[in-house]
Amino acid sequence: MSAPAELPTDQAPRPSWREHPVARVAGIAVRHPAVIPLGAVIVAVLIGGVIIVAAGLDPITAYAAVISGALDPDSLDYTFSVWAFICGMALAAAIPLRMGEFNLGGNGQLVLGGLAAALVAGQLDLPAILSVPVALIAAAVLAGSFGAISAPLATKFNIPIIISTLLLSPIAIALVSYLVRFQLGEEGSAVAQTERFPDEAQMWSIGNLSYTNVGLVVIVLLMIAFWLVDSRTAVGFELRVVGANRRFGSYGGVRVGRLAIGAMAASGAVAGIVGAIIVLSSPYRLIDGALLSPGYTFAGLAAALLAGGRPALIPVTAILFTVLQVGGASMERSADVPRQLSDVLQGVVIIVLALRTVIESRRSGGKGAA
Amino acid sequence: MTNALPAGAADVELVGISKRFNAVVANDGVDLVLRSGTVHAVMGENGAGKSTLMSILFGLVSAESGQILVGGKPVTFSSPLDAIAAGLGMVHQHFRLFDSMTVAANVVYGAEPRRFGLIDTRAAEARVRELGARYGLEINPRAIVASLSVGERQRVEILKALHRDATILILDEPTAVLTPGEVTSLFTVIRRAADTGTTVVLVTHKINEVLSVSDEVTVLRDGRVTGRFATSEATSADLVQAMTGREVLSVSNPGTGSAGDTVLTVDAIDVIEDRTARVKNVSFTVRAGEIVGIAGVSGNGQHEVVEAILGTRSVDAGSVELLGADVTALTVRDRRARGVAVIPEDRRGEGTAITMSIAENLTLGHHRSAPVGASRGIRKGWISLRASRQRARQLIGDYDVRTSGEQQSVGSLSGGNAQKVVIARELSHGAPLLIAEQPTQGVDVGAIESIHGRLLDYRADGGAVLLVSHEITELLALADRILVMLSGEIVAEFSRADATTAKIGAAMAGASAATDTTTGASA
Repeated sequence: MSAPAELPTDQAPRPSWREHPVARVAGIAVRHPAVIPLGAVIVAVLIGGVIIVAAGLDPITAYAAVISGALDPDSLDYTFSVWAFICGMALAAAIPLRMGEFNLGGNGQLVLGGLAAALVAGQLDLPAILSVPVALIAAAVLAGSFGAISAPLATKFNIPIIISTLLLSPIAIALVSYLVRFQLGEEGSAVAQTERFPDEAQMWSIGNLSYTNVGLVVIVLLMIAFWLVDSRTAVGFELRVVGANRRFGSYGGVRVGRLAIGAMAASGAVAGIVGAIIVLSSPYRLIDGALLSPGYTFAGLAAALLAGGRPALIPVTAILFTVLQVGGASMERSADVPRQLSDVLQGVVIIVLALRTVIESRRSGGKGAA
Repeated sequence: MTNALPAGAADVELVGISKRFNAVVANDGVDLVLRSGTVHAVMGENGAGKSTLMSILFGLVSAESGQILVGGKPVTFSSPLDAIAAGLGMVHQHFRLFDSMTVAANVVYGAEPRRFGLIDTRAAEARVRELGARYGLEINPRAIVASLSVGERQRVEILKALHRDATILILDEPTAVLTPGEVTSLFTVIRRAADTGTTVVLVTHKINEVLSVSDEVTVLRDGRVTGRFATSEATSADLVQAMTGREVLSVSNPGTGSAGDTVLTVDAIDVIEDRTARVKNVSFTVRAGEIVGIAGVSGNGQHEVVEAILGTRSVDAGSVELLGADVTALTVRDRRARGVAVIPEDRRGEGTAITMSIAENLTLGHHRSAPVGASRGIRKGWISLRASRQRARQLIGDYDVRTSGEQQSVGSLSGGNAQKVVIARELSHGAPLLIAEQPTQGVDVGAIESIHGRLLDYRADGGAVLLVSHEITELLALADRILVMLSGEIVAEFSRADATTAKIGAAMAGASAATDTTTGASA
């Protein structure tokens, strides 16, 4: 052996600081799954505060206005409806997220669901007991099939789902917009909208609440259903396995291609049902652009990301984005802070979550080189 | 097994390099001496630590301890740029080229000749021609990389390093993607470079390449140096032994009992990937109550054969029959349902989901049948979490998995315990065919014994076992028959009675098993 016989004694591997007991406890604490979402929210709130200060305003007043506006007892009915829509779109994002796929086409699926519901409600003249369920099913079928297209595109043609959903979405939006403006529009109306649906085609209300209706109960039921599927069924288990390690899934016999079709169809169907519920609720019309302007899709996506796709966490993370969305408007009124700030906060949350992915891949980068 | 090398000027020296990735020791006190103007082969099987060592030398990864000396002076490389500045160049296994740009643009990238502040394309092209002529790497500098063959792209990579005046050229598994003709011309280039004073480091696990082109060899195994040779004094048997090692095994196949019906028939399968045939015309059978071993240095097509049997990879020709039925067209799920269980080679990448719990890892594949799931009736498609946990606790006890509980993540287990989870899951299928691929890789001695015992029990209970291993001693202890794979083909078959380490080693290294082994191993 031609290697030097002696090595300097300080070449012995030193215990890294990571092995110190305090560092280990801190390490475990830092690795808790709740830390990152919570950290993202805190960072977003701090950055938002800096922006408010930079604009010469008082962040405490602004945030107080956000909270009090969102939780104002008089508007809780409205706040709940926003929460349910965000939950619905979060669910649409979470289903594929469970298997590691991103559905960025929620907007297209949402408007297609709205379109299907408007056609059933406005054209079919079904009796009250049938009209709403048929509209919801039609919305789920149309938007679900549209969402499902992305799965074979990924397995047969290697087009990532994240890309195809994003690119297919504007096609659906443009189609619906065209139909509302030129084919289904109310004659003589200055706004591009369908006629108001007949009473029997409107979403069933609950008591005399003006925003909260049976549609929102449907969304809550869908969330419970997904929670059950995710934790208690073979399909849900396969989704999670593929999300954790795709090769492990295929080796274990999971038919990943079929699973992707199912997940994308379910995702699109949920988005479509949300669209249908919005259209069937007050003002009971399909209005061009009205499904997209509240930004439920991306608030939902952010809530799903923040929850890591876990069905049990989505209702909680959706609260955050509901507060931002509803409270943002009242912040503008009472604290004179533009509501766009709530969009900024949503953006910051997403960036912080994305940073985590980057940092994790950097960390494992050394491992990849091994 | 460690021979002294002749003294000479050391151009680059690595001294006592150690590196761990979490619990995995990739390099453990590795010393490597590279002398100017020589071709130095760094050998070892997958996971032996070759790539980590080269990444450390090239500044991609930092060592935990140890030193790099260039020309006798200690250096610290915090990035590949430092390494390049010190005269190193590396050709990675996966090329790092801009496909849509020309050869010349790729070669000079990062160190472009400039004229009036702009890239001087003509000078770049002249440089490519000049380097090409000097090293025998002729290539059209204006060709677009996307239009080049794999061999030509590799030339571009080598030219890239030479353009930066690399005097130490690291080639990581350079022949993996080449045709035999391209390999020959690459070796000519390597020799020419060495003769002009360049130090070439050839990272490989192919014995014949080492013997035909290198001057010196350092063999790694499990992160340690297990052999140093001057190539002229080394035999293929020496290299095989240093790469695969040998351990004293206490359990062995009694050789009793007779094999029953044929369970697996592999008939003339071919697997082609990246225009290279990974598996060529492989045929064999495995019968009930029999352990058939496949020997071979890793990367000779054994893994592809396993994938073709399980169905995670489709075959380009031939067929796979299970219990008399052709399953070539079936999915993994259907094949598993008919009775294949696999302990895969890549435990973290394929055999487990490290972020999921032990219970969940044990459940995959069992989630549609009792007791966790149900294959028919009202509970079909549902999973009982309680049954899943209960079954996990049972298996943890049976297979002696050392863990704090069934909810612990598999990623936090030691290699041996994670392997026990995989084995528990696969053995509990009770499948007629069990494929065990490197079942004791990265597992401590105690666990090795228990795993070997399990495989023998499987055989005794009438199971058919296909055992893929690089460990000759493991195969000798367990297998009833041993097939040897080399370059995608079965090159030899031995019965239990005939098999010896020397014969198998010679066949693994490419010597004809039927003829005198001393003639073998020249490429």
